[in-house]
Amino acid sequence: MDKEKKLLSRKLAKIRGWIQAAATLLTNIHIPNLFKGKIYQGNAKTVCVPGLNCYSCPAATGACPIGAFQAVVGSSKFKFSYYITGFFILLGVTLGRFICGFLCPFGWFQDLLHKIPGKKLSTAKLKPLRYLKYVILIVFVILLPMLVTNSIGMGDPFFCKYICPQGVLEGAIPLSIGNAAIRSALGKLFSFKCMILIAVIVLSILFYRPFCKWICPLGAIYSLFNKVSLLKITVDSSKCVGCGQCSKACKMDVDVCKTPDHPECIRCGACIKACPKDAICYRFMGKSCQKNDNR
Amino acid sequence: MKNKLSFISIFTLCIALSLTACGVKQASTTDSKNTQTEAGSEASGKSDSRLDDLYQQENQLFADHADVWNKAFGMMNKSDADPNGNYADYLAGTVESNKNSFTDDELKTLNEDIETIRKIEEQIAELENKNTSSDDNKKDSSKASSVFSDFSGEDFDGNKVDDSLFSGNAVTVVNFWFTGCKPCVAELSKLNELNDAIKSMGGEVVGINTETFDGNKTAIKEAASVLESQGVKYRNLSIDSSSAAGKYASEIMAFPTTILVDRNGNIVGEPMLGGIDNKDNYDALMKQIQSVIDADSTNK
Repeated sequence: MDKEKKLLSRKLAKIRGWIQAAATLLTNIHIPNLFKGKIYQGNAKTVCVPGLNCYSCPAATGACPIGAFQAVVGSSKFKFSYYITGFFILLGVTLGRFICGFLCPFGWFQDLLHKIPGKKLSTAKLKPLRYLKYVILIVFVILLPMLVTNSIGMGDPFFCKYICPQGVLEGAIPLSIGNAAIRSALGKLFSFKCMILIAVIVLSILFYRPFCKWICPLGAIYSLFNKVSLLKITVDSSKCVGCGQCSKACKMDVDVCKTPDHPECIRCGACIKACPKDAICYRFMGKSCQKNDNR
Repeated sequence: MKNKLSFISIFTLCIALSLTACGVKQASTTDSKNTQTEAGSEASGKSDSRLDDLYQQENQLFADHADVWNKAFGMMNKSDADPNGNYADYLAGTVESNKNSFTDDELKTLNEDIETIRKIEEQIAELENKNTSSDDNKKDSSKASSVFSDFSGEDFDGNKVDDSLFSGNAVTVVNFWFTGCKPCVAELSKLNELNDAIKSMGGEVVGINTETFDGNKTAIKEAASVLESQGVKYRNLSIDSSSAAGKYASEIMAFPTTILVDRNGNIVGEPMLGGIDNKDNYDALMKQIQSVIDADSTNK
Protein backbone atom coordinates (compact mmCIF):
# COMPACT_ATOMS: atom_id res chain seq x y z
CA MET A 1 0.00 0.00 0.00
CA ASP A 2 2.73 2.37 1.01
CA LYS A 3 4.67 1.54 -2.07
CA GLU A 4 1.68 2.34 -4.23
CA LYS A 5 1.44 5.75 -2.64
CA LYS A 6 4.96 6.60 -3.61
CA LEU A 7 4.38 5.33 -7.08
CA LEU A 8 1.44 7.71 -7.39
CA SER A 9 3.59 10.61 -6.27
CA ARG A 10 6.14 9.72 -8.87
CA LYS A 11 3.50 9.39 -11.54
CA LEU A 12 2.01 12.75 -10.66
CA ALA A 13 5.41 14.40 -10.86
CA LYS A 14 6.06 12.75 -14.19
CA ILE A 15 2.90 13.92 -15.90
CA ARG A 16 3.32 17.45 -14.55
CA GLY A 17 3.95 18.87 -18.03
CA TRP A 18 0.65 17.47 -19.28
CA ILE A 19 -1.25 18.77 -16.27
CA GLN A 20 0.28 22.21 -16.87
CA ALA A 21 -0.76 22.08 -20.52
CA ALA A 22 -4.30 21.03 -19.60
CA ALA A 23 -4.55 23.73 -16.91
CA THR A 24 -3.34 26.36 -19.36
CA LEU A 25 -5.89 25.22 -21.92
CA LEU A 26 -8.69 25.25 -19.34
CA THR A 27 -7.79 28.74 -18.12
CA ASN A 28 -7.76 29.90 -21.76
CA ILE A 29 -10.63 27.95 -23.24
CA HIS A 30 -11.98 30.54 -25.70
CA ILE A 31 -9.31 29.94 -28.32
CA PRO A 32 -11.33 31.32 -31.31
CA ASN A 33 -11.39 34.72 -29.61
CA LEU A 34 -7.62 34.93 -30.10
CA PHE A 35 -8.19 35.39 -33.81
CA LYS A 36 -10.98 37.90 -33.37
CA GLY A 37 -9.19 40.17 -30.92
CA LYS A 38 -12.22 40.11 -28.62
CA ILE A 39 -12.36 39.34 -24.91
CA TYR A 40 -14.82 36.77 -23.59
CA GLN A 41 -17.12 38.62 -21.19
CA GLY A 42 -19.50 35.95 -19.91
CA ASN A 43 -20.39 35.01 -16.36
CA ALA A 44 -17.29 32.87 -15.77
CA LYS A 45 -15.28 36.09 -15.83
CA THR A 46 -16.63 36.92 -12.37
CA VAL A 47 -14.67 33.94 -10.98
CA CYS A 48 -10.90 33.88 -10.51
CA VAL A 49 -8.63 31.22 -11.98
CA PRO A 50 -5.91 29.83 -9.66
CA GLY A 51 -2.87 30.87 -11.72
CA LEU A 52 -1.54 34.14 -13.08
CA ASN A 53 -3.57 34.49 -16.26
CA CYS A 54 -4.51 37.89 -17.67
CA TYR A 55 -8.21 38.81 -17.67
CA SER A 56 -7.58 40.63 -20.93
CA CYS A 57 -6.35 37.54 -22.73
CA PRO A 58 -8.98 37.10 -25.45
CA ALA A 59 -9.11 33.37 -24.68
CA ALA A 60 -9.22 33.66 -20.88
CA THR A 61 -11.89 31.65 -19.05
CA GLY A 62 -11.90 33.62 -15.82
CA ALA A 63 -10.32 36.58 -14.07
CA CYS A 64 -6.74 36.86 -12.83
CA PRO A 65 -6.79 36.84 -9.01
CA ILE A 66 -4.03 39.45 -8.76
CA GLY A 67 -5.74 41.68 -11.30
CA ALA A 68 -9.11 41.27 -9.62
CA PHE A 69 -7.61 42.03 -6.23
CA GLN A 70 -6.14 45.31 -7.47
CA ALA A 71 -9.31 46.24 -9.33
CA VAL A 72 -11.40 45.86 -6.19
CA VAL A 73 -8.89 47.50 -3.83
CA GLY A 74 -8.50 50.37 -6.30
CA SER A 75 -12.20 50.90 -6.96
CA SER A 76 -14.06 53.70 -5.26
CA LYS A 77 -16.80 51.36 -4.03
CA PHE A 78 -14.72 49.01 -1.88
CA LYS A 79 -11.92 49.54 0.60
CA PHE A 80 -10.62 45.98 0.68
CA SER A 81 -11.13 42.95 -1.44
CA TYR A 82 -12.60 40.36 0.94
CA TYR A 83 -13.89 37.93 -1.66
CA ILE A 84 -10.54 37.57 -3.38
CA THR A 85 -8.64 37.43 -0.10
CA GLY A 86 -10.93 34.56 0.87
CA PHE A 87 -10.21 32.93 -2.46
CA PHE A 88 -6.46 33.20 -1.79
CA ILE A 89 -6.85 31.66 1.65
CA LEU A 90 -8.99 28.81 0.33
CA LEU A 91 -6.58 27.91 -2.46
CA GLY A 92 -3.55 28.57 -0.27
CA VAL A 93 -4.76 26.27 2.48
CA THR A 94 -5.71 23.45 0.11
CA LEU A 95 -2.93 23.53 -2.46
CA GLY A 96 -0.37 26.21 -1.60
CA ARG A 97 2.31 26.66 -4.24
CA PHE A 98 1.27 23.41 -5.90
CA ILE A 99 -0.66 25.91 -8.06
CA CYS A 100 2.61 27.49 -9.23
CA GLY A 101 4.08 24.14 -10.19
CA PHE A 102 1.05 22.52 -11.78
CA LEU A 103 -1.69 25.02 -12.63
CA CYS A 104 -0.15 28.40 -13.46
CA PRO A 105 0.06 29.14 -17.21
CA PHE A 106 2.92 31.61 -16.76
CA GLY A 107 4.81 29.05 -14.72
CA TRP A 108 4.43 26.58 -17.56
CA PHE A 109 5.56 29.23 -20.03
CA GLN A 110 8.78 29.68 -18.05
CA ASP A 111 9.23 25.92 -17.71
CA LEU A 112 9.02 25.57 -21.48
CA LEU A 113 11.47 28.43 -22.04
CA HIS A 114 13.90 26.75 -19.68
CA LYS A 115 13.82 23.66 -21.91
CA ILE A 116 15.54 25.66 -24.63
CA PRO A 117 19.05 24.21 -24.65
CA GLY A 118 21.92 26.48 -23.73
CA LYS A 119 23.89 27.65 -20.75
CA LYS A 120 21.91 27.26 -17.51
CA LEU A 121 22.80 29.32 -14.46
CA SER A 122 22.10 28.59 -10.81
CA THR A 123 20.03 30.98 -8.73
CA ALA A 124 21.41 29.69 -5.43
CA LYS A 125 23.49 32.82 -4.91
CA LEU A 126 20.59 35.12 -5.73
CA LYS A 127 18.43 33.99 -2.81
CA PRO A 128 17.94 37.50 -1.31
CA LEU A 129 16.06 38.47 -4.47
CA ARG A 130 13.28 36.13 -3.32
CA TYR A 131 12.09 38.79 -0.92
CA LEU A 132 11.51 41.20 -3.79
CA LYS A 133 8.21 39.49 -4.58
CA TYR A 134 6.85 40.27 -1.13
CA VAL A 135 7.80 43.92 -1.60
CA ILE A 136 6.04 43.92 -4.98
CA LEU A 137 2.98 42.29 -3.40
CA ILE A 138 2.74 44.86 -0.63
CA VAL A 139 3.68 47.95 -2.63
CA PHE A 140 2.30 47.41 -6.13
CA VAL A 141 -0.64 45.12 -5.46
CA ILE A 142 -1.92 46.43 -2.14
CA LEU A 143 -0.61 49.85 -1.12
CA LEU A 144 -0.33 51.83 -4.37
CA PRO A 145 -3.76 50.86 -5.76
CA MET A 146 -5.28 51.57 -2.36
CA LEU A 147 -3.57 54.87 -1.64
CA VAL A 148 -2.74 56.58 -4.94
CA THR A 149 -6.24 57.52 -6.03
CA ASN A 150 -8.05 60.28 -7.87
CA SER A 151 -10.62 62.64 -6.37
CA ILE A 152 -13.34 59.99 -6.18
CA GLY A 153 -11.14 57.26 -4.75
CA MET A 154 -10.17 55.29 -7.86
CA GLY A 155 -6.70 53.79 -8.08
CA ASP A 156 -4.72 52.20 -10.90
CA PRO A 157 -3.91 48.48 -10.90
CA PHE A 158 -0.21 49.28 -10.54
CA PHE A 159 1.16 45.75 -10.85
CA CYS A 160 -0.89 45.02 -13.98
CA LYS A 161 -0.16 48.40 -15.49
CA TYR A 162 3.57 48.71 -14.87
CA ILE A 163 5.03 45.26 -14.21
CA CYS A 164 3.07 42.17 -15.23
CA PRO A 165 4.68 40.51 -18.29
CA GLN A 166 1.80 38.03 -18.53
CA GLY A 167 -0.49 40.95 -19.36
CA VAL A 168 1.64 41.87 -22.37
CA LEU A 169 2.04 38.27 -23.50
CA GLU A 170 -1.62 37.29 -23.20
CA GLY A 171 -3.43 40.61 -23.28
CA ALA A 172 -1.71 43.40 -25.16
CA ILE A 173 -0.02 41.38 -27.90
CA PRO A 174 -2.98 39.23 -29.05
CA LEU A 175 -5.45 42.10 -28.66
CA SER A 176 -3.36 44.50 -30.69
CA ILE A 177 -2.83 41.91 -33.42
CA GLY A 178 -6.55 41.23 -33.67
CA ASN A 179 -7.88 44.75 -33.10
CA ALA A 180 -6.78 47.70 -35.23
CA ALA A 181 -8.14 50.35 -32.84
CA ILE A 182 -6.14 48.98 -29.93
CA ARG A 183 -3.06 48.72 -32.12
CA SER A 184 -3.36 52.42 -32.90
CA ALA A 185 -3.42 53.29 -29.20
CA LEU A 186 -0.16 51.51 -28.24
CA GLY A 187 2.43 53.83 -26.78
CA LYS A 188 5.46 54.09 -24.54
CA LEU A 189 3.95 52.02 -21.75
CA PHE A 190 3.53 49.12 -24.16
CA SER A 191 7.18 49.35 -25.25
CA PHE A 192 8.28 49.47 -21.63
CA LYS A 193 6.28 46.39 -20.73
CA CYS A 194 7.48 44.56 -23.82
CA MET A 195 11.00 45.13 -22.55
CA ILE A 196 10.02 43.59 -19.20
CA LEU A 197 8.54 40.60 -21.04
CA ILE A 198 11.66 40.16 -23.16
CA ALA A 199 13.84 40.41 -20.06
CA VAL A 200 11.74 37.75 -18.31
CA ILE A 201 11.94 35.50 -21.38
CA VAL A 202 15.73 35.79 -21.63
CA LEU A 203 16.16 35.26 -17.89
CA SER A 204 13.81 32.25 -18.02
CA ILE A 205 16.06 30.59 -20.56
CA LEU A 206 19.12 31.16 -18.37
CA PHE A 207 17.56 30.64 -14.93
CA TYR A 208 14.72 28.40 -13.78
CA ARG A 209 11.50 30.37 -13.22
CA PRO A 210 13.01 33.80 -12.40
CA PHE A 211 9.58 35.47 -12.41
CA CYS A 212 8.15 32.98 -9.89
CA LYS A 213 11.17 33.26 -7.63
CA TRP A 214 11.62 37.00 -7.57
CA ILE A 215 8.63 38.91 -8.86
CA CYS A 216 5.31 37.06 -8.77
CA PRO A 217 2.96 38.48 -6.08
CA LEU A 218 0.59 35.55 -6.52
CA GLY A 219 3.42 33.14 -5.74
CA ALA A 220 4.25 35.32 -2.75
CA ILE A 221 0.70 34.93 -1.43
CA TYR A 222 0.58 31.16 -1.96
CA SER A 223 4.06 30.75 -0.46
CA LEU A 224 2.75 32.01 2.88
CA PHE A 225 0.42 29.00 2.99
CA ASN A 226 2.97 26.36 2.03
CA LYS A 227 3.67 25.44 5.64
CA VAL A 228 0.01 24.89 6.49
CA SER A 229 -1.49 23.74 3.22
CA LEU A 230 -3.34 20.41 3.06
CA LEU A 231 -1.13 19.31 0.19
CA LYS A 232 2.42 18.75 1.32
CA ILE A 233 5.63 17.01 0.49
CA THR A 234 6.97 14.78 3.24
CA VAL A 235 10.26 13.02 3.68
CA ASP A 236 10.15 9.60 5.32
CA SER A 237 13.13 9.87 7.67
CA SER A 238 13.29 6.12 8.19
CA LYS A 239 14.01 5.66 4.51
CA CYS A 240 16.14 8.74 3.93
CA VAL A 241 19.84 7.99 3.70
CA GLY A 242 20.83 11.64 3.48
CA CYS A 243 22.33 11.40 0.02
CA GLY A 244 21.23 14.94 -0.83
CA GLN A 245 19.99 14.02 -4.31
CA CYS A 246 16.71 15.80 -3.60
CA SER A 247 18.28 19.17 -2.83
CA LYS A 248 20.51 18.81 -5.86
CA ALA A 249 17.49 18.16 -8.06
CA CYS A 250 15.51 21.07 -6.61
CA LYS A 251 15.47 23.97 -9.04
CA MET A 252 13.83 26.29 -6.51
CA ASP A 253 16.92 26.03 -4.23
CA VAL A 254 15.13 24.30 -1.36
CA ASP A 255 16.89 21.99 1.09
CA VAL A 256 14.23 19.29 0.81
CA CYS A 257 15.29 17.07 3.73
CA LYS A 258 15.39 19.93 6.21
CA THR A 259 12.48 22.06 5.01
CA PRO A 260 10.14 20.15 2.71
CA ASP A 261 7.49 22.82 3.28
CA HIS A 262 9.71 25.76 2.43
CA PRO A 263 7.79 28.79 1.03
CA GLU A 264 9.78 28.52 -2.19
CA CYS A 265 8.73 24.92 -2.91
CA ILE A 266 6.41 24.83 -5.91
CA ARG A 267 5.66 21.10 -5.40
CA CYS A 268 7.07 20.26 -8.82
CA GLY A 269 8.16 16.83 -7.62
CA ALA A 270 11.71 16.94 -8.98
CA CYS A 271 12.91 15.69 -5.58
CA ILE A 272 10.39 12.84 -5.62
CA LYS A 273 11.69 11.70 -8.97
CA ALA A 274 15.30 12.10 -7.86
CA CYS A 275 15.07 10.21 -4.55
CA PRO A 276 16.82 6.84 -4.92
CA LYS A 277 15.06 5.43 -1.83
CA ASP A 278 11.50 6.60 -2.63
CA ALA A 279 11.51 8.43 0.68
CA ILE A 280 9.74 11.58 -0.56
CA CYS A 281 6.06 11.77 -1.49
CA TYR A 282 3.08 14.06 -1.79
CA ARG A 283 0.62 13.98 1.06
CA PHE A 284 -2.88 15.34 1.08
CA MET A 285 -4.53 16.03 4.46
CA GLY A 286 -1.82 14.10 6.21
CA LYS A 287 -2.47 10.80 4.49
CA SER A 288 -3.11 9.24 1.13
CA CYS A 289 -1.62 10.74 -1.99
CA GLN A 290 -4.29 9.06 -4.01
CA LYS A 291 -6.69 11.88 -3.34
CA ASN A 292 -4.55 14.47 -4.89
CA ASP A 293 -4.02 12.24 -7.91
CA ASN A 294 -7.76 12.28 -8.44
CA ARG A 295 -7.96 16.01 -8.50
CA MET B 1 14.34 10.23 -21.30
CA LYS B 2 10.85 9.51 -22.53
CA ASN B 3 9.70 12.38 -20.43
CA LYS B 4 12.16 14.71 -22.03
CA LEU B 5 11.08 13.61 -25.48
CA SER B 6 7.46 14.29 -24.74
CA PHE B 7 8.33 17.74 -23.43
CA ILE B 8 10.29 18.56 -26.52
CA SER B 9 7.42 17.39 -28.70
CA ILE B 10 4.91 19.51 -26.78
CA PHE B 11 7.19 22.45 -27.03
CA THR B 12 7.72 22.20 -30.77
CA LEU B 13 3.99 21.67 -31.21
CA CYS B 14 3.32 24.82 -29.24
CA ILE B 15 5.77 26.85 -31.24
CA ALA B 16 4.35 25.51 -34.49
CA LEU B 17 0.81 26.25 -33.33
CA SER B 18 1.62 29.72 -32.16
CA LEU B 19 3.39 30.49 -35.40
CA THR B 20 0.51 29.30 -37.55
CA ALA B 21 -1.85 31.16 -35.26
CA CYS B 22 0.12 34.35 -35.82
CA GLY B 23 0.04 33.79 -39.55
CA VAL B 24 -3.71 33.42 -39.61
CA LYS B 25 -4.18 36.37 -37.34
CA GLN B 26 -2.16 38.65 -39.54
CA ALA B 27 -4.07 37.52 -42.59
CA SER B 28 -7.37 38.13 -40.87
CA THR B 29 -6.40 41.61 -39.74
CA THR B 30 -5.40 42.63 -43.22
CA ASP B 31 -8.69 41.20 -44.41
CA SER B 32 -10.70 43.25 -42.00
CA LYS B 33 -8.68 46.29 -42.89
CA ASN B 34 -9.60 45.88 -46.50
CA THR B 35 -13.26 45.59 -45.72
CA GLN B 36 -13.09 48.64 -43.53
CA THR B 37 -11.46 50.87 -46.07
CA GLU B 38 -12.79 49.24 -49.23
CA ALA B 39 -10.49 51.45 -51.24
CA GLY B 40 -7.89 48.77 -50.90
CA SER B 41 -6.04 49.27 -54.16
CA GLU B 42 -2.36 49.87 -53.80
CA ALA B 43 -2.32 53.24 -55.49
CA SER B 44 -4.94 54.75 -53.25
CA GLY B 45 -3.26 53.09 -50.29
CA LYS B 46 -0.21 55.15 -51.05
CA SER B 47 -2.15 58.36 -51.52
CA ASP B 48 -4.03 57.59 -48.30
CA SER B 49 -0.82 57.53 -46.34
CA ARG B 50 0.25 60.68 -48.16
CA LEU B 51 -3.05 62.27 -47.14
CA ASP B 52 -2.59 61.17 -43.56
CA ASP B 53 0.84 62.68 -43.63
CA LEU B 54 -0.51 66.01 -44.88
CA TYR B 55 -3.27 66.06 -42.26
CA GLN B 56 -0.61 65.26 -39.69
CA GLN B 57 1.34 68.31 -40.78
CA GLU B 58 -1.72 70.48 -40.34
CA ASN B 59 -2.47 68.98 -36.96
CA GLN B 60 1.09 69.68 -35.94
CA LEU B 61 0.58 73.34 -36.79
CA PHE B 62 -2.61 73.45 -34.73
CA ALA B 63 -0.85 71.67 -31.89
CA ASP B 64 2.21 73.93 -31.97
CA HIS B 65 0.09 77.04 -31.47
CA ALA B 66 -2.72 75.33 -29.63
CA ASP B 67 -3.67 78.29 -27.44
CA VAL B 68 -4.37 80.65 -30.30
CA TRP B 69 -5.96 78.07 -32.52
CA ASN B 70 -8.36 76.82 -29.89
CA LYS B 71 -9.40 80.41 -29.41
CA ALA B 72 -9.95 80.73 -33.15
CA PHE B 73 -11.83 77.44 -33.38
CA GLY B 74 -14.20 78.66 -30.71
CA MET B 75 -15.17 81.62 -32.91
CA MET B 76 -15.99 79.61 -35.96
CA ASN B 77 -19.34 79.86 -37.60
CA LYS B 78 -20.19 76.90 -39.76
CA SER B 79 -22.53 78.80 -42.09
CA ASP B 80 -19.53 80.76 -43.39
CA ALA B 81 -17.75 77.65 -44.56
CA ASP B 82 -17.42 77.29 -48.29
CA PRO B 83 -17.13 73.57 -48.92
CA ASN B 84 -15.44 73.88 -52.28
CA GLY B 85 -12.99 76.55 -51.27
CA ASN B 86 -9.62 76.10 -49.61
CA TYR B 87 -9.85 75.35 -45.89
CA ALA B 88 -7.25 78.05 -45.36
CA ASP B 89 -9.63 80.65 -46.82
CA TYR B 90 -12.20 79.61 -44.28
CA LEU B 91 -9.66 79.89 -41.47
CA ALA B 92 -8.49 83.24 -42.76
CA GLY B 93 -12.09 84.45 -42.94
CA THR B 94 -12.72 83.51 -39.35
CA VAL B 95 -9.54 85.17 -38.15
CA GLU B 96 -10.27 88.27 -40.23
CA SER B 97 -13.76 88.75 -38.85
CA ASN B 98 -12.55 88.33 -35.29
CA LYS B 99 -9.41 90.40 -35.71
CA ASN B 100 -10.04 92.46 -32.62
CA SER B 101 -10.02 89.48 -30.31
CA PHE B 102 -6.38 88.64 -31.06
CA THR B 103 -3.15 90.39 -30.20
CA ASP B 104 -0.75 91.34 -33.00
CA ASP B 105 1.54 88.45 -32.13
CA GLU B 106 -1.31 86.00 -32.23
CA LEU B 107 -2.49 87.33 -35.59
CA LYS B 108 1.00 86.92 -36.99
CA THR B 109 1.22 83.26 -35.91
CA LEU B 110 -2.25 82.57 -37.23
CA ASN B 111 -1.60 84.13 -40.61
CA GLU B 112 1.71 82.32 -41.02
CA ASP B 113 0.05 79.02 -40.16
CA ILE B 114 -2.79 79.74 -42.55
CA GLU B 115 -0.38 80.25 -45.42
CA THR B 116 1.31 76.91 -44.72
CA ILE B 117 -2.09 75.26 -44.43
CA ARG B 118 -3.17 76.79 -47.75
CA LYS B 119 -0.30 75.00 -49.47
CA ILE B 120 -1.01 71.73 -47.71
CA GLU B 121 -4.71 72.01 -48.54
CA GLU B 122 -3.91 72.45 -52.22
CA GLN B 123 -2.01 69.18 -52.20
CA ILE B 124 -4.81 67.50 -50.27
CA ALA B 125 -7.44 68.70 -52.73
CA GLU B 126 -5.43 67.25 -55.58
CA LEU B 127 -5.07 63.89 -53.87
CA GLU B 128 -8.70 63.83 -52.83
CA ASN B 129 -9.91 64.41 -56.39
CA LYS B 130 -8.09 61.27 -57.39
CA ASN B 131 -9.70 59.33 -54.58
CA THR B 132 -13.28 60.57 -54.87
CA SER B 133 -14.56 57.54 -56.70
CA SER B 134 -13.25 55.11 -54.12
CA ASP B 135 -14.52 57.33 -51.31
CA ASP B 136 -18.04 57.05 -52.68
CA ASN B 137 -17.81 53.28 -52.58
CA LYS B 138 -16.70 53.49 -49.00
CA LYS B 139 -19.74 55.42 -47.88
CA ASP B 140 -22.22 53.09 -49.54
CA SER B 141 -20.83 49.86 -48.21
CA SER B 142 -19.94 51.07 -44.74
CA LYS B 143 -21.65 48.63 -42.43
CA ALA B 144 -21.19 50.87 -39.43
CA SER B 145 -23.94 53.13 -40.72
CA SER B 146 -26.66 50.84 -39.39
CA VAL B 147 -25.50 51.09 -35.77
CA PHE B 148 -27.44 54.24 -34.94
CA SER B 149 -30.12 54.04 -37.65
CA ASP B 150 -33.07 53.34 -35.35
CA PHE B 151 -31.47 54.55 -32.15
CA SER B 152 -33.42 54.82 -28.95
CA GLY B 153 -32.41 55.48 -25.39
CA GLU B 154 -33.23 57.30 -22.20
CA ASP B 155 -31.28 59.97 -20.42
CA PHE B 156 -30.61 59.64 -16.70
CA ASP B 157 -33.71 61.66 -15.85
CA GLY B 158 -35.91 59.22 -17.75
CA ASN B 159 -36.47 61.36 -20.87
CA LYS B 160 -36.77 59.31 -24.06
CA VAL B 161 -34.31 59.97 -26.87
CA ASP B 162 -34.55 58.70 -30.46
CA ASP B 163 -32.50 59.21 -33.63
CA SER B 164 -33.46 62.89 -33.65
CA LEU B 165 -30.56 63.04 -31.20
CA PHE B 166 -28.23 62.96 -34.19
CA SER B 167 -30.28 64.83 -36.79
CA GLY B 168 -30.33 67.94 -34.63
CA ASN B 169 -26.56 68.39 -34.76
CA ALA B 170 -23.92 68.41 -37.45
CA VAL B 171 -21.77 66.14 -35.32
CA THR B 172 -22.48 64.08 -32.23
CA VAL B 173 -19.48 62.99 -30.18
CA VAL B 174 -20.41 59.66 -28.58
CA ASN B 175 -18.20 58.70 -25.65
CA PHE B 176 -18.38 55.10 -24.41
CA TRP B 177 -17.30 54.61 -20.80
CA PHE B 178 -18.05 52.73 -17.60
CA THR B 179 -18.10 53.85 -14.01
CA GLY B 180 -15.18 51.77 -12.73
CA CYS B 181 -12.84 52.92 -15.51
CA LYS B 182 -10.32 55.38 -14.17
CA PRO B 183 -9.11 56.84 -17.49
CA CYS B 184 -12.76 57.27 -18.52
CA VAL B 185 -13.56 59.25 -15.40
CA ALA B 186 -10.36 61.25 -15.84
CA GLU B 187 -11.52 62.70 -19.17
CA LEU B 188 -15.11 63.50 -18.16
CA SER B 189 -14.44 67.11 -17.24
CA LYS B 190 -12.55 67.62 -20.52
CA LEU B 191 -15.49 66.14 -22.44
CA ASN B 192 -17.74 68.62 -20.69
CA GLU B 193 -15.46 71.44 -21.85
CA LEU B 194 -15.55 69.99 -25.35
CA ASN B 195 -19.34 69.94 -25.24
CA ASP B 196 -19.41 73.63 -24.34
CA ALA B 197 -16.86 74.40 -27.06
CA ILE B 198 -18.65 72.66 -29.91
CA LYS B 199 -22.20 73.63 -28.98
CA SER B 200 -22.03 76.83 -31.02
CA MET B 201 -20.52 74.94 -33.95
CA GLY B 202 -23.44 72.54 -34.12
CA GLY B 203 -22.02 69.69 -32.10
CA GLU B 204 -22.91 67.82 -28.96
CA VAL B 205 -21.19 65.35 -26.64
CA VAL B 206 -23.23 62.35 -25.51
CA GLY B 207 -22.04 59.76 -23.02
CA ILE B 208 -23.00 56.09 -23.09
CA ASN B 209 -22.11 54.22 -19.93
CA THR B 210 -22.00 50.48 -20.61
CA GLU B 211 -22.95 49.65 -17.02
CA THR B 212 -26.23 51.53 -17.30
CA PHE B 213 -27.65 49.39 -20.11
CA ASP B 214 -31.33 48.39 -20.00
CA GLY B 215 -32.19 51.13 -17.52
CA ASN B 216 -30.18 49.59 -14.65
CA LYS B 217 -31.24 51.88 -11.78
CA THR B 218 -28.35 51.34 -9.36
CA ALA B 219 -25.77 51.70 -12.12
CA ILE B 220 -27.42 54.90 -13.34
CA LYS B 221 -27.35 56.29 -9.82
CA GLU B 222 -23.65 55.53 -9.42
CA ALA B 223 -22.81 56.89 -12.86
CA ALA B 224 -24.80 60.03 -12.16
CA SER B 225 -22.93 60.69 -8.93
CA VAL B 226 -19.58 60.24 -10.69
CA LEU B 227 -20.71 62.60 -13.46
CA GLU B 228 -21.80 65.13 -10.88
CA SER B 229 -18.47 64.91 -9.04
CA GLN B 230 -16.68 65.73 -12.31
CA GLY B 231 -19.03 68.59 -13.10
CA VAL B 232 -20.47 66.99 -16.21
CA LYS B 233 -23.50 68.71 -17.72
CA TYR B 234 -23.85 66.94 -21.08
CA ARG B 235 -26.34 64.14 -21.63
CA ASN B 236 -25.64 60.53 -20.73
CA LEU B 237 -27.90 57.85 -22.12
CA SER B 238 -28.97 54.40 -21.08
CA ILE B 239 -29.60 52.15 -24.07
CA ASP B 240 -30.82 48.58 -24.63
CA SER B 241 -28.04 46.02 -24.66
CA SER B 242 -29.89 44.12 -27.40
CA SER B 243 -30.12 47.15 -29.71
CA ALA B 244 -27.65 47.66 -32.55
CA ALA B 245 -25.94 50.42 -30.60
CA GLY B 246 -25.83 48.23 -27.50
CA LYS B 247 -24.18 45.44 -29.45
CA TYR B 248 -21.72 47.88 -30.95
CA ALA B 249 -20.82 49.07 -27.45
CA SER B 250 -20.36 45.55 -26.11
CA GLU B 251 -17.84 44.82 -28.87
CA ILE B 252 -15.61 47.66 -27.69
CA MET B 253 -12.54 46.13 -26.05
CA ALA B 254 -10.85 49.23 -24.69
CA PHE B 255 -12.25 52.19 -22.82
CA PRO B 256 -12.71 55.09 -23.16
CA THR B 257 -13.64 54.91 -26.84
CA THR B 258 -15.01 57.99 -28.58
CA ILE B 259 -16.71 58.04 -31.98
CA LEU B 260 -18.18 60.76 -34.17
CA VAL B 261 -21.66 60.43 -35.63
CA ASP B 262 -22.99 62.69 -38.37
CA ARG B 263 -26.47 64.10 -38.83
CA ASN B 264 -27.69 60.93 -40.57
CA GLY B 265 -26.59 58.63 -37.79
CA ASN B 266 -23.49 57.40 -39.64
CA ILE B 267 -20.27 56.77 -37.80
CA VAL B 268 -17.54 58.92 -39.33
CA GLY B 269 -13.89 57.90 -39.31
CA GLU B 270 -12.21 55.47 -36.97
CA PRO B 271 -13.06 55.20 -33.26
CA MET B 272 -10.62 57.00 -31.00
CA LEU B 273 -9.20 55.11 -28.02
CA GLY B 274 -7.95 56.85 -24.93
CA GLY B 275 -8.98 59.97 -23.05
CA ILE B 276 -8.96 63.49 -24.45
CA ASP B 277 -7.27 64.69 -21.27
CA ASN B 278 -4.24 63.77 -23.38
CA LYS B 279 -3.57 66.81 -25.55
CA ASP B 280 -2.71 64.92 -28.74
CA ASN B 281 -5.98 63.03 -28.53
CA TYR B 282 -7.90 66.25 -27.92
CA ASP B 283 -6.36 67.95 -30.95
CA ALA B 284 -6.92 64.93 -33.18
CA LEU B 285 -10.55 64.69 -32.11
CA MET B 286 -11.11 68.43 -32.52
CA LYS B 287 -9.73 68.26 -36.03
CA GLN B 288 -12.00 65.33 -36.88
CA ILE B 289 -15.01 67.15 -35.43
CA GLN B 290 -14.17 70.16 -37.56
CA SER B 291 -14.03 68.05 -40.70
CA VAL B 292 -17.40 66.43 -39.96
CA ILE B 293 -18.95 69.87 -39.46
CA ASP B 294 -17.39 71.07 -42.71
CA ALA B 295 -18.70 68.04 -44.55
CA ASP B 296 -22.12 68.65 -43.06
CA SER B 297 -22.32 72.19 -44.38
CA THR B 298 -21.20 70.89 -47.78
CA ASN B 299 -24.12 68.53 -48.00
CA LYS B 300 -26.69 71.15 -47.12
